Amino acid sequence: MVVSKMNKDAQMRAAINQKLIETGERERLKELLRAKLIECGWKDQLKAHCKEVIKEKGLEHITVDDLVAEITPKGRALVPDSVKKELLQRIRTFLAQHASL
Amino acid sequence: MKMEEMSLSGLDNSKLEAIAQEIYADLVEDSCLGFCFEVHRAVKCGYFFLDDTDPDSMKDFEIVDQPGLDIFGQVFNQWKSKECVCPNCSRSIAASRFAPHLEKCLGMGRNSSRIANRRIANSNNMNKSESDQEDNDDINDNDWSYGSEKKAKKRKSDKNPNSPRRSKSLKHKNGFSVCTSASNTLPLLFSSSGELSNSDPFKYSNSTGISYETLGPEELRSLLTTQCGVISEHTKKMCTRSLRCPQHTDEQRRTVRIYFLGPSAVLPEVESSLDNDSFDMTDSQALISRLQWDGSSDLSPSDSGSSKTSENQGWGLGTNSSESRKTKKKKSHLSLVGTASGLGSNKKKKPKPPAPPTPSIYDDIN
Repeated sequence: MVVSKMNKDAQMRAAINQKLIETGERERLKELLRAKLIECGWKDQLKAHCKEVIKEKGLEHITVDDLVAEITPKGRALVPDSVKKELLQRIRTFLAQHASL
Repeated sequence: MKMEEMSLSGLDNSKLEAIAQEIYADLVEDSCLGFCFEVHRAVKCGYFFLDDTDPDSMKDFEIVDQPGLDIFGQVFNQWKSKECVCPNCSRSIAASRFAPHLEKCLGMGRNSSRIANRRIANSNNMNKSESDQEDNDDINDNDWSYGSEKKAKKRKSDKNPNSPRRSKSLKHKNGFSVCTSASNTLPLLFSSSGELSNSDPFKYSNSTGISYETLGPEELRSLLTTQCGVISEHTKKMCTRSLRCPQHTDEQRRTVRIYFLGPSAVLPEVESSLDNDSFDMTDSQALISRLQWDGSSDLSPSDSGSSKTSENQGWGLGTNSSESRKTKKKKSHLSLVGTASGLGSNKKKKPKPPAPPTPSIYDDIN
């Protein structure tokens, strides 16, 4: 029963994601988020952090994995609350609109 | 089946919220990953550190926040008080006036060429008019000497192509000057018989005055018959407005005429009573009055001048008023002669020389 329940949830999530992509909402949300992050200076902050990491690790030997490992947690933490709230709001709206699939 | 299972309506809010959070987290992760890829590519291509500068130059261009300076550290009014030395005339000129000065100094630029053309036109016209004086009787009747003309200030706004004071006699002579009339503002000649040329350089502005020192007696006489002539206290010039100009009283005008022309001088407006009479004159009466007038015309110049004026004014009322004004001076001889045959003949007589030697006038009448 738990498995089926989980399966249901998983299926549900999959269905929602599918809906997001189909309607193009996902792209729109992504663009919105990017614009907002640049606006609030998130990108510049993260870039400064990058520079430090690269200087630390050495310019020649930096890899994508290094960067991802270093930067992603910082990035997640640096997102301002206002941006987060707005995005969540939009997602909830979308879910509400598409309540009955 | 599956559709029912996947229905969201059965879910509670917490589940929905969890799903929303998940979606959000996915989006943020996408953005971060995207950023990482950009940075990595920049590093590998070598342009990641391009926008960095050394600390020294960073300090040089730091934003300035002091009072009185802009963010670059410059003073606001710096160029106003600075003086430059003109390379042409070696004068020290204020910076804000330097460009216009240079334009005039070097003779390049629109304005300076305009002024130069105007000056050339003026000097040419003056030379031309002087040389033609003997030939053209019109010029002989000029009341104004060049000195007084030059002194008079002239503004472009005073020019009025339709003004009756424009002389037509000089029109045909001044082809050259007409071309430059737009820029020519100096009045050079005042044509005979009180007419002012339609060619602009010779227009005489009503707002200026005449210096009476340079005028001969003939000129004075003719001047006083048509214009106010009252000498202004400030400029010592004669008023050039009409005989009824509101700025001066009749007493002043009489005084001036007595001063210039002797005690017998009569104010032209004294004869204004004649105007009303002449207005009703028939042709025969005109002949009689004209003959009488001609008989006495040369004996007392002032009288002739005044009577001329009155006749003119009378005829002016009967005929085209603008024309009568034009015929105020000696040319009125001929105009009256012409009017005996027809009132509209004033125009014909104007271009003809008035011939100041009076025997010629009598010849015409006879």
